[in-house]
Amino acid sequence: MAKAKTKATSGKQSGGSLMWLQGLACGGLAALVPGIALQVGILLLPAIVALMLDRAAGKPVARAILLCALAASVEPMRALWNSGQGLDLGFSLVADFHAVTLTWSAAAGGWLLTQVIPVAVRMVLDTTADKRASDLREARARLIEEWGLGPPADQ
Amino acid sequence: MARSPDNETQPDPSAGQYDIDTARPLPQVGGGLPTFAARNRGTGHGGLMALLVARDAPARPMALRDLIGAKIENLATPLAHQNGPASGSAAYYVICPAPAGRPLSLLTRPWSEPVIIGQVLRPIAQILVELEQRRITHRAIRPNNVFESQSNLPVTLGAAWAAPPGMHQPEIFEPPYSAMCHPAGRGDGHIADDVYALGVLLITLAIGRVPLAALDPVAAIRRKLEMGSFAALTAEEKLPPIISDLVRNMLAEDPEHRPPPTLLLDPFAARGRRVAARPPRRAQRPLQIGSTVVWDARTLAFAIGTQPEAGFQSMRTGDTMQWLRRTLGDATLAVRIEELLRHRATEGRSDDTRADAATVMRAVVLIDPLAPLCWRGTVLWPDAMGAAMAMGLVTEPVLLDHLEELITVEMVPNWAMLRPDRCDFSGLRIESRRHRSLLQTRGPGGGQPRLIYTLNPLLPCLSPLTRDRWVAGLADMAPALEAAIGADPSGTDPLDPHVVAFIAARSDRRLEAEVNGLNGHPDEAEWLIARLRLLAQLQVRYYARPLPRLAGWFAAKAGPLVALWYNRPRRAEVASTINTLAAAGQIAPMLALIEDPAGRSADAHGARTAAQDLMTIEAELASITDGGPHRTAQAARIGQEAAAVIGLAALAAMMTLAAFG
Repeated sequence: MAKAKTKATSGKQSGGSLMWLQGLACGGLAALVPGIALQVGILLLPAIVALMLDRAAGKPVARAILLCALAASVEPMRALWNSGQGLDLGFSLVADFHAVTLTWSAAAGGWLLTQVIPVAVRMVLDTTADKRASDLREARARLIEEWGLGPPADQ
Repeated sequence: MARSPDNETQPDPSAGQYDIDTARPLPQVGGGLPTFAARNRGTGHGGLMALLVARDAPARPMALRDLIGAKIENLATPLAHQNGPASGSAAYYVICPAPAGRPLSLLTRPWSEPVIIGQVLRPIAQILVELEQRRITHRAIRPNNVFESQSNLPVTLGAAWAAPPGMHQPEIFEPPYSAMCHPAGRGDGHIADDVYALGVLLITLAIGRVPLAALDPVAAIRRKLEMGSFAALTAEEKLPPIISDLVRNMLAEDPEHRPPPTLLLDPFAARGRRVAARPPRRAQRPLQIGSTVVWDARTLAFAIGTQPEAGFQSMRTGDTMQWLRRTLGDATLAVRIEELLRHRATEGRSDDTRADAATVMRAVVLIDPLAPLCWRGTVLWPDAMGAAMAMGLVTEPVLLDHLEELITVEMVPNWAMLRPDRCDFSGLRIESRRHRSLLQTRGPGGGQPRLIYTLNPLLPCLSPLTRDRWVAGLADMAPALEAAIGADPSGTDPLDPHVVAFIAARSDRRLEAEVNGLNGHPDEAEWLIARLRLLAQLQVRYYARPLPRLAGWFAAKAGPLVALWYNRPRRAEVASTINTLAAAGQIAPMLALIEDPAGRSADAHGARTAAQDLMTIEAELASITDGGPHRTAQAARIGQEAAAVIGLAALAAMMTLAAFG
């Protein structure tokens, strides 16, 4: 019991440390490269929200949204980096409606993937199971007919 | 003289060689039995007679076995015994040469002494000598069974083989101790009984008529017992002197006092032989036992033996002992009977009729040691047990009940123990135990029918199924059952208790295992297999010809046997093969198909495997049916992983483009 308490306390402490480090990184980023920090904050806003809302273990939905949003954010980031990383330039790029829409659409696409692919996989699995059940019923009927082993349970 | 008939009869090789013409009866030559003309089919030789054997009175197996093929001058020795007129008929005949002359019963004039001695006494004595050498008795010497020949030639003695010994003898021609027996219960007896009958025949020829012919049988027996046979038969007759001397000895009450046949070959020596036969002691006043008025001890034994209730009552009240002591003057005998009654009083309950019957039986032996076995009014000699039981089975159930009880309580050894010097006690005891064992054998192959068929090797099977045929042996059984099933194909079990007992008795233990296999099968399939096994052996061993109706009966009832197979296609195949084999009439292959241990084992193994497979399938189907949530979770996991992979791939692609673009 004492060991378990110790482990729980140490987990909370490491989670708190991580949060503290993340805050420190964000703060550092905003202080050192405020233009990039602004742009990341705007472009990855849906992913940040998803990370906050997704309570599932491993945050699978937020993870897909984040990866898709990151993929769409690469080009605006590169453009800002090459343009000098100024705050005003950052504001101008944020004002670029096209880049924000594209990034947020990519985030939406990521979310959509997490919803559509399981349905498709479920359909494939169900079809496979039905085929197997049909084969088994045939085999069962054959055995019953050949050996007279009694009526099937589901008839 | 008595010998066990068990397992001594072999198939008669000459059976079936004779044509029997039932349209030509020969009423005078059969000694009273229905007789027909017969001829040898091979040689065409006629002059033969076929004596009809009654269904309830089997022929004499040992006499037939020992005399077929034997040549005894002036005797109608048997030539064969067979079904007739055709094979498979319901009648059975003993074939003998037909005597040429008229029976002596048709003659009305007295014969002269030299003719009687030369043409009757010496020839018949010679026949008896030869029979005695073969340990056979004739037991049918009577006027209608002795036939005259041409002048100055010996008479011919007729056949005596187609019925139990002495069964058709008039009581006058039998010693009183044989005459008082049931007709089927007289037994083989002793050659001295033939000497007695010959003596009566000599009197008949000497006086030209049958003595005491006017008396009824019981009165004649009582007269012989009271007066002695010689005095009773010759009381008012005048006999030639030599005949008179001879007959006096020949009619002695004790068989041991009668002259042997060899002595009769020399009548003049035989007449000089004197036996010290004491005349029966007569009482001053009679004793009433039932309907019999008793004047002497021998008649007392007869009255008690034939009227056991009245006899026992008279003993219990003391009348008999008082009469013996005060009137007959035999105090010793009275004391012995009193001891017997005292023993009875300590032996069981007062209402135990079996103990009463045993007391009566013992009392009869004490009073007259020459008397036969008396049990509940049934009188017989133990060597006639088989014939008497056969008669009882067919026509006299009460007689059969008495004999069955007699065997159950082993009364024959008890009887023999009381007269050890007059019978083979140890032999009778062994035989009695064997009879009791057979009688008490459980199951369809034992009990009363088994005992009767064992004791009577020539008794036909008396099953209702074989009523229309004379089934004398196992070779006849299969075709008889085939015909019976043909007459009633839907019907009854072909192996009824009589058929099984007959097979068990006649197979000489060769089918013992199959017969024992019939015992106790509540399961119908096993019941059928046991029957099939016995009939298959019957066909293989005794009748190697098709039996399609019998096989068809089994095929029609083979459902439970086919159901022994689990595999349905195999079942259909077995059913089809059974029908094919049944049509061919082959029972043994049907049995092999049904038993087939290797095939049945493989079938059972296949059934077990199939059951396990079915359980596996059912479990998998259940898991599929219940697996929806699992598949949903699995799909979600796969979908999310796939989405992450796609996002990662897109990120990698964009970074690559950014780096190199």
